[in-house]
Amino acid sequence: MTELATMEFHPQPRAGEAKPWAFPAPERGTLANGLTVLHCHRPGQQVVAVEIILDAPLDAEPAGLDGVATIMARAFSEGTDKHSAEEFAAELERCGATLDAHADHPGVRLSLEVPVSRLPKALGLVADALRAPAFADSEVERLVRNRLDEIPHELANPSRRAAKELSKELFPATARMSRPRQGTAETVEDIDSAAVRAFYEKHVRPATATAVVVGDLTGVDLESLLGDTLGAWTGSQAQPRPVPPVTADDAGRVVVVDRPGAVQTQLLIGRIGADRHDRVWAAQVLGTYCLGGTLTSRLDRVLREEKGYTYGVRAFGQVLRSAPDGSGAAMLAISGSVDTPNTGPALDDLWKVLRTLAAEGLTDAERDVAVQNLVGVAPLKYETAAAVASTLADQVEQHLPDDYQATLYQQLAATGTVEATAAAVNAFPVDRLVTVLVGDAAQIKEAVEALGIGEVKVVAAE
Amino acid sequence: MPMGHTATDQAGTGGLTATEHRLANGLRVVLSEDHLTPVAAVCLWYDVGSRHEVKGRTGLAHLFEHLMFQGSGQVKGNGHFELVQGAGGSLNGTTSFERTNYFETMPTHQLELALWLEADRMGSLLAALDDESMENQRDVVKNERRQRYDNVPYGTAFERLTALAYPDGHPYHHTPIGSMADLDAATLEDARAFFRTYYAPNNAVLSVVGDIDPEQTLAWIEKYFGSIPTHDGKPDPRDGSLPEVIGEQLREVVEEEVPARALMAAYRLPHDGTRACDAADLALTVLGGGESSRLYNRLVRRDRTAVAAGFGLLRLAGAPSLGWLDVKTSGDVEVPVIEAAIDEELARFAEEGPTAEEMERAQAQLEREWLDRLGTVAGRADELCRFAVLFGDPQLALTAVQRVLEITSDEVREVAKARLRPDNRAVLVYEPTAPEATADQDENEEAAQ
Repeated sequence: MTELATMEFHPQPRAGEAKPWAFPAPERGTLANGLTVLHCHRPGQQVVAVEIILDAPLDAEPAGLDGVATIMARAFSEGTDKHSAEEFAAELERCGATLDAHADHPGVRLSLEVPVSRLPKALGLVADALRAPAFADSEVERLVRNRLDEIPHELANPSRRAAKELSKELFPATARMSRPRQGTAETVEDIDSAAVRAFYEKHVRPATATAVVVGDLTGVDLESLLGDTLGAWTGSQAQPRPVPPVTADDAGRVVVVDRPGAVQTQLLIGRIGADRHDRVWAAQVLGTYCLGGTLTSRLDRVLREEKGYTYGVRAFGQVLRSAPDGSGAAMLAISGSVDTPNTGPALDDLWKVLRTLAAEGLTDAERDVAVQNLVGVAPLKYETAAAVASTLADQVEQHLPDDYQATLYQQLAATGTVEATAAAVNAFPVDRLVTVLVGDAAQIKEAVEALGIGEVKVVAAE
Repeated sequence: MPMGHTATDQAGTGGLTATEHRLANGLRVVLSEDHLTPVAAVCLWYDVGSRHEVKGRTGLAHLFEHLMFQGSGQVKGNGHFELVQGAGGSLNGTTSFERTNYFETMPTHQLELALWLEADRMGSLLAALDDESMENQRDVVKNERRQRYDNVPYGTAFERLTALAYPDGHPYHHTPIGSMADLDAATLEDARAFFRTYYAPNNAVLSVVGDIDPEQTLAWIEKYFGSIPTHDGKPDPRDGSLPEVIGEQLREVVEEEVPARALMAAYRLPHDGTRACDAADLALTVLGGGESSRLYNRLVRRDRTAVAAGFGLLRLAGAPSLGWLDVKTSGDVEVPVIEAAIDEELARFAEEGPTAEEMERAQAQLEREWLDRLGTVAGRADELCRFAVLFGDPQLALTAVQRVLEITSDEVREVAKARLRPDNRAVLVYEPTAPEATADQDENEEAAQ
């Protein structure tokens, strides 16, 4: 008690007056070549973020060539009509820039970050890559081999392995979403420079692309900079492309991916549900946060802070594809890892948390804290140019209005406890969840079967 | 000077300033104003890390860090998390070899709450610390260890390399996560003693950065932290000094179920805070940073023997820093092929040094990393604490990037020649083994799909 006696205690301070903050509104324009441009001035952000969104979705990959969008995305930084692959990488790094490119269900994204003083040069390089990529045979061949070498590493990683299995279980085998985003060994092997170029010619053009530029743009003549760089890129007009609706089989069942000797079981429990074009999205975000958004949410309060079964379990909703016609969906999931001997008890508790939520609902206090956090963290979350650019690019990719994020904060603040409860219960119904467990089947199978959360199937890790 | 041209007028600092203060109880305070966004970062570095741990109690500093979130005199249970997140803030704590840090980023109008919370646990943690939270967090940390190290391929590589690079008994021989046996052995009394020894205002630096009124902030700090008593009796950490080079090549071969062969190595490098350390940073960047580096070009692009190849620098102030090499092989390529290529590249670099263009690229990369680091209030608060705790002067954070830009190519070559040698490294080789047999029902079910 000596420690208590010596410090002077004060009551918990009250908050001061909140300062206004709003999610930045971008300015929108179109270049002569049809490229859409969003830009946003963020004072003080010396590192500018540029996101380029290409309408080249995974669904558009030719049959048997899963992974061609990924190889194309990577090949953008492997040389142009002006630079070899090595020169291109060297020139970018000379700007102090980083350039990431990846392919996902809605399309291909290029993300450039560079100090503003070197933006013109770096943007010129990226524009060259889009306008005149080399796609040299030997570079594409190297990227294919490199990708093939990566696959075993991903399969050996418990969380990556779980994600692969969940997609395979949830989506029909004919759907692109059922298969790994970056392809399998069988499909990647068949990719060559001709396939990459064909995919590029069919799906990459300025008229269906958008560039988002965010940062301290003081003294930057953006219009002429964009005209000189991305403006030089040409291409035909776009054809509208039909998109199949996302469907999934979420009948409650369990798949154990067997990893004998694993000291932990990786959990991934999911299904699909409402995406951002659904009116329930705000309530779903709120309800999902209350369930498993942080260490003090319902799941971790039991599984971590009471039982010590895990370092942390999270519930989340991640948009797979989102469109105004309602064809989109979000992956709704719970993930984490628990020690092997406690796998059964942990899942038992997890389901109890879900049943209690359905039976008793959220409390007003939980709802209030969640809203205060989700809305209150916005100024912190969007301090950097990269964070703002990434959200603006998501909005573009998901066909949402430019003020979507700003509106979402208002919707969250206006969402009540009852709506949040309903959304969370609908998002995670106890009998419609597909459970993937990557762990030691011999140690966990029996305990999981006893829970009655669905039929248990065991598959080999590879 | 042709090289070292900078991306911003003030080379990364953007005109930032910081003021320093000290409370009567010894708490050092650093404040830095920036009103661009209505947020404020609070960062508290305690000058204690895993290097202060004793034999048989590895992992105690990190386990203790978890206990700091289990309530204190006026804060119940998970109140630290609940109150900060409920105020629209974010928070966490981390433990490394040389320090333990706790940080909150708050909307400006909630800054006072974060200060009150940090003061409460600095002054009164033991009022709330009990067996229940000790047992619970012991299990949580053991699961953290499993998740991050034991259950992932190559997960224990860092631990193994550190144990090789720093001899048995050296304060950096073990990593902050500690061993399962020691985590099991830690007692509530160990945790109490740890707090009494190291968690004192005179063993900490507090920084507050962002949209603040410095006078008001200092008054709050005085109000909440000012009455926490000073206590001395912190033992000096064990001496971390070692000869400049190891003097022989240390080597361990791990046969484990991993997806591919790997070659990793740790080179003994100059201490953080020296010009030679900045020169080493540039050398490692030229050799193995990014996709235009010498090792990437050689192994991934030209020889096509590796799927990934890179160098990283673990800066350490109380012991030699570590240059960390990580290469995962491609296909069936054998480790000696990779090793020979690396030795050739390092030997060539030691002779030639970097080209002017390579220096320019490496400096541009490191400058951007600094701009990123100082571009958020939380990053800035952490760097101010780092330089205050490790080097006694927070102002050094604001000029760090300038120092990197002043390094010459001769200095880079010199440090490479002196340190990046086969007799100054610990090597870890992974050779994959076949997976354990899977349960026998699998094949049938797999075939059925």
